[in-house]
Amino acid sequence: MMQALLQLKDVSSGYKASLVLRKLSLSVASGEAVAVLGKNGMGKSTLLKTIMGYLPKASGTVHVGGQDITRLGPHRVARKGIAYAAQEHALFTELSIRDNLRLGLAKESVFDERFAEIEPVFPVFKTRLKQFAGTLSGGEQKMLLVARALMMRPSIVLLDEITEGLQPSVIERLAEALLGERRKRGTTMLLIEQNVPFALKVADRYLVLKQGEIVDEGSAKAATAAQRIFDHLRV
Amino acid sequence: MMLLGLVGIALVVLGPWVFGTYLLNILIKAFFFAIVAITVDLLWGYTGYLTFGQSAFFGIGAYAAGLVFAHAGFTMLSALAALGLAVAGTALIGALVGWLSFYRGASPFFATVISLVLPIVLTQLLLSGGAWTGSSSGLTGYETFELPLEAWYWIAGTALALVALLGSLVVRSDAGQVLKAIRDNESRCTYLGIRTSRVKIVLLVATAVVAGLAGFGYGSFSGVVAPELSGFVLGTEFIIWVALGGRGTLWGPLLGAVLISVASAYLSSSMPFVWQLVLGCAFVVVIVLLPQGLMPLLIRPLRRGIAGEPALVDRAVRALVEQDAAQALVMEGVAKQYGHLKVLQGIDLTADGGQLAGLIGPNGAGKTTLMRCMSDGSERTAGVVRLCGHDIRTLPPEQCVRFGLGRKFQNANIFDTLTVAACLRIAGSVRERPALFACSPVLAVPSYALEVLRVTGLAGKLSAVAKDLSHGEQQALELAMVLTLEPKIVLLDEPTAGLTKTERTQIGSILSSLALRHGLCCLLVEHDLDFVHEIATRIVVLHQGRIAMQGSFEDVAHSELVKTIYAGSTHAAQEAA
Repeated sequence: MMQALLQLKDVSSGYKASLVLRKLSLSVASGEAVAVLGKNGMGKSTLLKTIMGYLPKASGTVHVGGQDITRLGPHRVARKGIAYAAQEHALFTELSIRDNLRLGLAKESVFDERFAEIEPVFPVFKTRLKQFAGTLSGGEQKMLLVARALMMRPSIVLLDEITEGLQPSVIERLAEALLGERRKRGTTMLLIEQNVPFALKVADRYLVLKQGEIVDEGSAKAATAAQRIFDHLRV
Repeated sequence: MMLLGLVGIALVVLGPWVFGTYLLNILIKAFFFAIVAITVDLLWGYTGYLTFGQSAFFGIGAYAAGLVFAHAGFTMLSALAALGLAVAGTALIGALVGWLSFYRGASPFFATVISLVLPIVLTQLLLSGGAWTGSSSGLTGYETFELPLEAWYWIAGTALALVALLGSLVVRSDAGQVLKAIRDNESRCTYLGIRTSRVKIVLLVATAVVAGLAGFGYGSFSGVVAPELSGFVLGTEFIIWVALGGRGTLWGPLLGAVLISVASAYLSSSMPFVWQLVLGCAFVVVIVLLPQGLMPLLIRPLRRGIAGEPALVDRAVRALVEQDAAQALVMEGVAKQYGHLKVLQGIDLTADGGQLAGLIGPNGAGKTTLMRCMSDGSERTAGVVRLCGHDIRTLPPEQCVRFGLGRKFQNANIFDTLTVAACLRIAGSVRERPALFACSPVLAVPSYALEVLRVTGLAGKLSAVAKDLSHGEQQALELAMVLTLEPKIVLLDEPTAGLTKTERTQIGSILSSLALRHGLCCLLVEHDLDFVHEIATRIVVLHQGRIAMQGSFEDVAHSELVKTIYAGSTHAAQEAA
């Protein structure tokens, strides 16, 4: 067993009075990719928001590489090398595509090198770096979120339904890109998905979340994985 | 809340026996100010329009009394004339300011600036009125109603109680939810056919008249009017009282206005400078520590859950008129340009009732822009769009909705702070005007909307607040809201994004029944080709702003164009297998 890079212990959190996550424990090894699946309202996005520190934890602890990040705010969590592609409203619509990408980076000098790396995955951005992000279509905005997260070269990347609204060929390219990222840098990934085939292709392990608790987990490469997940999502 | 009301009524009735003359004087003025604070809360706390201008209407009312009584003397007739002047003047200026502030496309910031300009201009006019307005010293010593102090106290107290009661009935009623909906998401309101500018103008006129009447009372009671009564300093004080008391609570601003007026009357004479500092500090502390104001803190423990949720019932769908069904949607030569960037060009598209057209194309092909051009007359740069036979010209979305259009946005577009039931009620408000002073115990939605609510479990979450719903539930709520409009043409921009496969299948069968059973014309943007295949009756392919292909699913999916630009290898391989 590799060392756990991201470790949640008995984490409960939610909105005001209602708890969405209930004493959830989860550990993700360094270099591992874990897909979180589940029906709507089961706490998938809440899990990522809680890790990032957008939501306060009612109980439990979160550790990254042995450091306690339970009480840290989002900007401090991000500085631990955790990138987060949120589901909505995470772009600066009045800034250019380039500025949106640049804001994820610590310094300007690495921009060209990092951009060259993601450019083959998202060729749409190459000639449009000066365009305002707000004028991109919904799917393109989604791509920009993922591109920004990857350009940060995070040690852990949290991806919230990034395939939503993307055309099939882009989803395919994206899966290849994430797999490539894992091979090359050993990036740890936690991804939330409705697109089960995509999730299983990218991840090593899957979890099914129901009412804020993990009700099933297993290897993403097991032949029965898709069927088991489907059974959980149906009922 | 009932208890608080009873204490309030007891104080109003018994006041003259409990309070001294000085305090009664202060309270009468405070009551008139509190009435204005309530109108500020209605405009700012509930509708989201930050206004510094209510003092201007208060001043107009006060000066109506002052000017008429000072120059024409006090008779019963002149009193009536002054009252008429107060009402007419505030209504007229309210309508003018409303029209200026809320015309289509005006930003909230612009409206607030106008509200700042109004009291400043008015004060300048009063200052330059010479002997006629009394300039900076105002008008004093005019004859007015000869009433004992107790009577004034009862009049002011009753007026305040009445305004508070009416206000609280309105904000709790179904119509009051519309105000909050405008605050939360004005664009969604217009796409539900609500004429938001008109609602806001009517509200501003009504609150202006109420503030004017309070000013008339103040001017008649005190026998003194001064330019400060219409100034923006007073307008800002109203904002502070509302914020301290708790905006969006009505009772908070009422208490805030009364308590701070009384406190400042006692303290400002004994420590004029320190008092301003104390008030300023209190404001900062409340804004930092209790951004909701004091009132929510006091009443939260007392609140026993919100009123019961309404019962969901099935509403009969209107029969479709024959001519609506044929050629529900016609687009001829439609184009859209952003500067040099041509997003759409030469779009010719027709769709009939009973059809479910799947609109596919690469990300950035212009699919969402196309939907925008169908639903807002000001969007396209060339071409003609007809909805159910009506040319949309440059009409706004609310008019397009009234022609029979319903639009589901790509990202869930709902009313964050409202409950599921309230969101649906507002969606039905074009069909069924919401009650102004009451909450209906039933919530009627058409059968297909009901189906969406049941399938996604929302039917059991009617009193949940929309922003606490998951992403997928929000998507489903928006879909149900759009269907509650009973549209004849439905634009669906990725309606199943964020839903599980099972939910997608269920929503899919509802969508296809919309077209096949109910004869609606549906246009669906979707990336899941299998899903499109299952439900669409025809496919339109958009590529680089033009319609590249139209036809049956088989024609389109097997074309080289779609395979190369869109589907990717897996899907092509599946098709081949």
